[in-house]
Amino acid sequence: MSHPDPLDLLRHRLDASTRETPECLDDATLAALAEGGLGAAGRATVLPHLAGCPRCRGVVASVVRSLADRAVAREVAAVEGRGRRRWLGIGLSAAAAAILFVVAVPRWVNDSIGHRGPPLPGAVVPRPLAPLGTVAEAKALRWAAVTGADRYRVILFDAAGRALYETQLSDTVVALPDSVTLAPGRPYLWKVEARTGWDRWSASELVQFSIAGER
Amino acid sequence: MEGWAAELASGRPDAAWDLFLDRYRRLIFAAIRHYAQDYDDVMDVFARVCEALREGDLQRLRTYAAQPDHRARFSTWLVTVVRHLTVDWFRHRDGRRRLSVVAEGLPPLRRRIFEHVFLDQRRHIEAYELIHAREAPTLSFKEFLGELRATYSAVTDGRRGRVLGELGGTPPAEEAPAAASPNDIADTRALLEQAFGALSAEDRVALELYVVEELPAADVARILGFPNAKAVHNRVYRALAAARARLAQVGIGRGDL
Repeated sequence: MSHPDPLDLLRHRLDASTRETPECLDDATLAALAEGGLGAAGRATVLPHLAGCPRCRGVVASVVRSLADRAVAREVAAVEGRGRRRWLGIGLSAAAAAILFVVAVPRWVNDSIGHRGPPLPGAVVPRPLAPLGTVAEAKALRWAAVTGADRYRVILFDAAGRALYETQLSDTVVALPDSVTLAPGRPYLWKVEARTGWDRWSASELVQFSIAGER
Repeated sequence: MEGWAAELASGRPDAAWDLFLDRYRRLIFAAIRHYAQDYDDVMDVFARVCEALREGDLQRLRTYAAQPDHRARFSTWLVTVVRHLTVDWFRHRDGRRRLSVVAEGLPPLRRRIFEHVFLDQRRHIEAYELIHAREAPTLSFKEFLGELRATYSAVTDGRRGRVLGELGGTPPAEEAPAAASPNDIADTRALLEQAFGALSAEDRVALELYVVEELPAADVARILGFPNAKAVHNRVYRALAAARARLAQVGIGRGDL
């Protein structure tokens, strides 16, 4: 009989369950494990469970892989960098936060959300014209035409990222229907995508606006 | 204290939410996109993440903020939460329907395997027993394993491949064990558990994360508090040698599996 190779044996195991059980570790502990933030005492407490639980091991491995993802790592670095400055004691007033929102938000999706076929090299992206920033009212969305585009897709989001309105059309302006109610003082975001070829869409930056008035 | 946490502590959940979302929106999207590449999936999962985080007046954020000490950075905790919410979204309702589309092009048997393993998260042996009992009484376990590998290969290769990999767990090995039935596998598994179960919890986790999950040794070292990747290699090597010796003692050889 040949000597068994435990590596093969481990990989041949066929009935590991990935279902969550009441004993499974909570999110804070899984995050701490993935980050290496548990001290010796903490590890000693959780390792017996981790040794016997494929589900929790899988989650830890999954979070480690996610944190190693270049896009995720970039965003983590961005928020942790900002976080350190805040921990130095620079509190943000509501007004300052609002300014930060206006400055930071317009790029929130543009470089992270791809859609179907990429735009052709050199393709022009649509440019939102109005509303932008704080406006007295917003009854329509308007953008600059893109040469060669035969169709536009417009999406309006609230601050939570919920799509409030979405439509496709060939014009460069769309009136918001009465069913879309915009509250004064609340931030809204919208973007427009131009179809520049078969299954190819080029998207504008996500821009922010709000209706003037008290929240 | 971060701005959102201060607003939350002051009883202003709406303001807290605006600050939180302003600060972490891009990270949430990046974490979702690690698992989901389809545009509509990403947007729907983002809406679900926001909904879940807002539930109970931001109960999840409130619970995190109330912890006396934080063993992980908030961003790591958030990535963990987003991972769960993303996988759960695909497992239920709308997400499940979207994933079902992946299976439409599969032959009937592989479609059934897909449902059991990826959507219902059944163990491979459990999936075999259900299929064998209900609809394919002549299907041998070895044939099933071949179909299982083909199913993994087919569905984890597309735009939804990464999240399906999360749902399906560890894929079966490239070479099927020689065991003829699930009972043989179960018996052998008991012996394997005995051999690997004799290892310390630390060695077992090192082995599983490095061998089965295929994490880099440096990551395993960080998780387990080892000084460096070399320490992981040493521990895994020794653990494998110990397991090999125990398996040899009970007469299990490679050809038995």
